[in-house]
Amino acid sequence: MVTVVQNAQVLLLAAVLLAACLAKLAVRAPAEADHVHGVPLPAGARQATVLRNSRSAGVGLGVMEGVLGLALLVTSHVSVRIATAVGFAVATWAVSELRAHRPDAGCGCFGGLSTKPVGRRTVARAMLLTAAAVASLWAPYAGLDVLRFDQARVGLALVLAVELALFAALSPELATLFGRHARPRTSCARRRSPLAETYATLRDSRAWARHENAVTSAVPVDVWREGCWRFLVFPGRRGEQALEIVFAVSTAERDREVRAAVVDAGVELGAGAGTGADHDVPRAGDDPETRTSLASAAL
Amino acid sequence: MPLHRRRAERRRLREAVLGSEPRQPAPPVAGTPSLRVLTGLVLDASPHLLVVRTPAGEARLPMTGATTVWHGGRGGLAALRPGREVVVRVGGDGLAAERVWVDAGRVTGTILACGRDTVEVDMGPHRGRAHVVIPPHALGAVLVRHPRMEPGYLFDVICVRSPDGPRAVRPGTSQPGHRADQMADAALPGHVGGPAGPAGGPSRGTATWFGGGEYGMAYPAVDPEGQAGGCADAPAGCVRLPLLSLGSDVAVRNECTGRAATVPVVECGCVAARYCDRCVECGVSPRGRVAELSAAVFVGLGGDLENGCFNATVQPAMGDARW
Repeated sequence: MVTVVQNAQVLLLAAVLLAACLAKLAVRAPAEADHVHGVPLPAGARQATVLRNSRSAGVGLGVMEGVLGLALLVTSHVSVRIATAVGFAVATWAVSELRAHRPDAGCGCFGGLSTKPVGRRTVARAMLLTAAAVASLWAPYAGLDVLRFDQARVGLALVLAVELALFAALSPELATLFGRHARPRTSCARRRSPLAETYATLRDSRAWARHENAVTSAVPVDVWREGCWRFLVFPGRRGEQALEIVFAVSTAERDREVRAAVVDAGVELGAGAGTGADHDVPRAGDDPETRTSLASAAL
Repeated sequence: MPLHRRRAERRRLREAVLGSEPRQPAPPVAGTPSLRVLTGLVLDASPHLLVVRTPAGEARLPMTGATTVWHGGRGGLAALRPGREVVVRVGGDGLAAERVWVDAGRVTGTILACGRDTVEVDMGPHRGRAHVVIPPHALGAVLVRHPRMEPGYLFDVICVRSPDGPRAVRPGTSQPGHRADQMADAALPGHVGGPAGPAGGPSRGTATWFGGGEYGMAYPAVDPEGQAGGCADAPAGCVRLPLLSLGSDVAVRNECTGRAATVPVVECGCVAARYCDRCVECGVSPRGRVAELSAAVFVGLGGDLENGCFNATVQPAMGDARW
C-alpha cells in the first residue's frame, strides 16, 4: 500500500508540473499596476514580484517545470525526485513570503490564472505538494512505468482521485479558469449604450414599424436615458391632430425590447397623460410590442 | 425648456410608455424625512429673529440660545449681516433656526495655476473657474491634504465667500495622488469602474455638496448621449452608477443620520466622478462619490457643510422594476 501511495505521488507531481508549464506558456499574466490611486508602490513591494512580472522569467520557469514533469514520467532517477522536492520547497517559501509582503498580488504559480491574492489555500497547497515530493523520493517506478505495470490500479486510482480533489479544492485558479469563459454581463442600467445602437434597435422593431407612418420627423425632439431605458420622442400627426410618439428602447446587451406609446402633443403638465394614455397603456408584464394607447390604435 | 418643466414632461412621457408605477424609493434607501432648510439673503437679524429673503418670499425664523452660526468657523450674530447668503437648517420643531451657515461655498475642480497664496481652479464645464485665496491660517491644513499644488491636480476646499472671491477655510477632502485627467488604475479590483452594487440595488459611497442654489444634485453618471445632459468627456467614475439624465429622480439617504429624500438631478457631476475618496463621518464609506448635493439638500439630510461629506446610499427612484 505504501508503494501505491508513493507511486501515486509521482503521477500527481508530474501532472501538476506539466499543468503549471502549460499555464505559464499559454496564459500570460496581466501587467501589474505599479500605482495605487496614483501613488507609486514602495520599491520593496515591487521587488517582491519582479520575477513574477517578468515574461522571460515566467517562460523559463515554465520550461523547467515541463522538463521536470516529463522527467518524472520517464525516469525514476533519484536526482529528478530531489530536484522536484527542492523545487516545491522553494515554491512554498516563495508563496509564504509573497503572502507576507504582497498580500494583494497573485503568485503566478499557474501563469495568468494565478491572479488572485495569495491566501492560506495557496500556501497549504505548496506545502502538501512538497510533502508529496518528499514521499515520492522512494517510489520505485517512473510515472509511465506506474501506469504500465502497477498491479494495484484501483488503489492507485483511488489515491490519485483523492489527491486531485484536494488539489482542486486548494486551487483558486480553477475559478479563474472557468470564469474566463463566462463573459461578465454589465447591468443594463449601468451599461454605456451608444445612440447608434439605440437607433438600430428601434428601426428593427415592430413598434417602430407600427408607428413609422405617423412619425413626421426623422429626428427625435427629445432623447434621454433612465437606467435600462433610453427614451426617444418623435413628433407625429393623426389627421389634423398633433401627437407625440414615445419609444422606450432597452439598453441591455442583448434581447433589447422596444415599447411605444402615443400621446397628444401639448397636454397640460400635471393634467395626466393626455389622450387616455394613463388608461390605455397596458401595465408591465403585457407584451411590450402590443403596447399601444387608444390613440395609436386609431392610427 | 426649463429643467423643472422638462422633468415633468419627461416623467409624463415615461409613464405613458412604461406605465405609472409607484415612485417610492426602495426600502434600502428609505429613511426619516429630511429637515426643513431655507436658503436666501439675510434681510435682518437680531438675537431672537432672523429674517431671510428666500425665492418663495420673506421668511422670519426665531433664533434661540442653541442656534449656532458658521462663517468660516464659529461665528456670532455679527456674521449675519444684511445681504449675506445663508443656509438655515430649521430644528426638529420646524420653527426655530438650529444652524445657520453664512456665505458658505466650496471649490472643487482642477488646479489651473498656483500663486503664493492663491489657486486658480477649473470647476468643470457647468461652474466655470474660481480664484481661491488661501489665508495663512488655513494654508497648513490645505497643504497637508493637498500635497501637490500643481496645475493638473485636483483641489477641493470649503470656503467662505468674500468680495475678493472665495477664501479657503479648510480642505474638503484629501487630494487624489493622480492628475485629474488620469483616473486611478482601472485594473485595481473594486476601484475605478469597480464597485457596482447589485444590478437592481442601491449604490454606496460618499455624498458631497456644491454651492449651486438649485435644489437637486449633480449626478456623476449622466448619460452623454442625446439630450440627457451628460458631459462628453466625463470619466466612467469610481462607482459604477446607473446612467440617468437631467431631471431624473434619485433617492439619497444619509447613512449617518438615517434621513432620506428623493432629489432631482440638476447637473452633470463630471467633477465628482473624478474622485475616488471615502467619507469617514460615521464609519468608512466605500470609495467614490455617488452624489454631489446642493447645499440645501445636503443640510436637509443632516449634513454639516463644514464637514464636506457624509456616507450615503443612492438609488434611482424610478417606477420601473428593472433596476
